Amino acid sequence: MQNVLFQLIVSGIAMGFVYALVAVEYTLIWNACGLLNFSHEKIIMLGGYVFVGTCINVFHMPNLLSALSAILILGLFGVLIAVTIFIPLRNQSRLIAVVATVMLGQILNEAAVLVWGPVALMPKNFLSGVFTFMGATIAKSYVYIILVSIIIIAVLQFIFKKTKFGKAMTCVSIHKTASSLMGINVKASMVVTLLISFMICAVIGIITAPVFTVKQQMATMIALKGFCAGVIGGFGSLPAAIAGGLTLGIVENLTGLILPAVFKDAVAFALMILFMMFSPKGLVGVKESIKSRRIKKAGEAG
Amino acid sequence: MLYVNQISTYYGNACALSGVSFEIKQGEIVSIIGANGAGKSTLMKSIMQVVKPRTGTIRYKEKDIMHMSTHRIVGEGIVYVPEGRDIFAPMSVQDNLVMGAYSRRFSKNELEELCEEMYQLFPRLKERRRQLAGTLSGGEQQMLAIARGLMSRPEIIMFDEPSLGLAPIVVDEVFERIQYINKQLKISVVLVEQNAFMALSVSDRCYVMENGKITNSGKSQDLIQDDSIKAAYLGM
Repeated sequence: MQNVLFQLIVSGIAMGFVYALVAVEYTLIWNACGLLNFSHEKIIMLGGYVFVGTCINVFHMPNLLSALSAILILGLFGVLIAVTIFIPLRNQSRLIAVVATVMLGQILNEAAVLVWGPVALMPKNFLSGVFTFMGATIAKSYVYIILVSIIIIAVLQFIFKKTKFGKAMTCVSIHKTASSLMGINVKASMVVTLLISFMICAVIGIITAPVFTVKQQMATMIALKGFCAGVIGGFGSLPAAIAGGLTLGIVENLTGLILPAVFKDAVAFALMILFMMFSPKGLVGVKESIKSRRIKKAGEAG
Repeated sequence: MLYVNQISTYYGNACALSGVSFEIKQGEIVSIIGANGAGKSTLMKSIMQVVKPRTGTIRYKEKDIMHMSTHRIVGEGIVYVPEGRDIFAPMSVQDNLVMGAYSRRFSKNELEELCEEMYQLFPRLKERRRQLAGTLSGGEQQMLAIARGLMSRPEIIMFDEPSLGLAPIVVDEVFERIQYINKQLKISVVLVEQNAFMALSVSDRCYVMENGKITNSGKSQDLIQDDSIKAAYLGM
C-alpha cells in the first residue's frame, strides 16, 4: 500500500509539473500579448515530432543533441509566429487573433500527418527504464520530467527576477503603454516571449514523448489540464501556475486510490469547475482571502 | 527644442486634434490648459507616438520624430508622465525607479546614485523603497511617477495632470518639485493641467486648448490677466 501511494505521488508530481509547464507556457503569452495561444497543444506536438520524427529518425542525431535542436527550431518557429500572427493582430479584435491561433493549430495538425505519417512515433532508449526505490517502482521518465521542469522554472525565475530584459517583460505584462513610455520595446518583448514559450512547448513535447508517444493527439489532454492548472492556481501568475499544476497532478493521481481509474480525467475538470464557482481567483485567491480575514480579525481584536 | 507643426490626430473617425502647433524652448516651463476632452492628453500622446497623428510634423533637435516608435523617443530624451500615473503596482518602489532608467545603459553604481538623488528629491519614497508601489498613497504614487520619469535623465519631461485627485497640500508640494526640476535639474517641462491657476502661476508660457485646437497662447503672466481666460478657466 505504501509503495503504491509513493508511486502515485511521484507520478502525480511529474504530471503536475507537466501541467505547470503548460500553464507557464501559455501564461507567458497571455501576459505579454493579452492573447491565449490556442495552438499550444499542436506546438507541443510539433516539438515531439521534430525531436523524434526528424532529428532522431532522419538525421540519426544522439538523443540530447536532438532534444536541443528541436528546442532551438521551435524557438525560431516562435519568432516567426510572433512576427506573422501575434504582432500584426495584437491591436485587432481579440476574436481575430483567437481564430488565427486555432487555424495555426489545424494547419500544424494536418501538416504533421503529411510530413511524419499517421503512425505514432516512439523515441528509442530515451528516458526509458525504471528505478526501484524503497520497494516502489518508478519510471525514469517521471524523474527526468521532475528534474527538467525544476530547471526550467528556476531559469525562468532567474530571467524574470534578475535580468534587465526579464524585468522589462514583467513591466510589459503589467502595463504595455507605461512600459513603452519607459523606453521598453514592447514588440521585441513579445517576440522574446513567444521564443521562450515555444521552447518550453518543445521541452514538454520531448519529455512527454516516452509517456504518451509522439502522435497528433499526444498533447490534447495535457493542454486542457494545463489550462485547468492555470485556473486552479490563479490565472496570469507564474508561481500560481506551478502551484495549480502540482495540486492538480497529485489530487488527480490519488483519486485512483478511491475511484475507478476512468474517473481520473473527470476529477481535473470537476476541480476546475469547483474553483471557478468558489474561488475564481484560484489558490492565490484563497491565500488572499485568508490573509484579509486575518487582518480583519486582528483589526476586530485591536 | 521641440517643434510640433500642424498635427491632426483621429480616434477612428473622430477628430481629437486638428492642426495643432506647439513649441517648447530649452529651459522653459510650458503649460497647456483646457477643459476635459479638449485634446491636451492626446497632444502629449501624439508627441510620444502612443497614438499616431495622421498629418503634420514633429521635430526634436533637428530630428524628425513623427514616425519613431515610442521607446525610441524616450531614448532621444523626451519623457511623458501619464495621467493616472501608471506605475507598476506589483513591483517595489525601487524597481519602479530602476525601470525608469531602462532606455539608458547605466552601471549599477550610477543607478544607485540616481536612485539616491531621487530619494533626496522625494524623501518619502526612500522610507518606502522596498514597499510595493501599489500600496502607496495617491500623492506618493505621483511622486514615484515623476521620479521614475526623471531616472532616464530626460531633456524634456511632460506631466499630464499631476495634481489630479490629490489633496491641496500635496498639490502644492508636487508643483514645488516640478519647479525645482526645471530650475535646478535644468529640464524643460511641459505641464498639462485642468488646475489653470496653478499651471499659469508656475509656467513661463501657456497654450489654451478647446475642442482639439489651440485657441490662445502667450506669456503666462499676461494670460492670467486676460479677461476671457479669467472668466473661462479661473472662475473670476
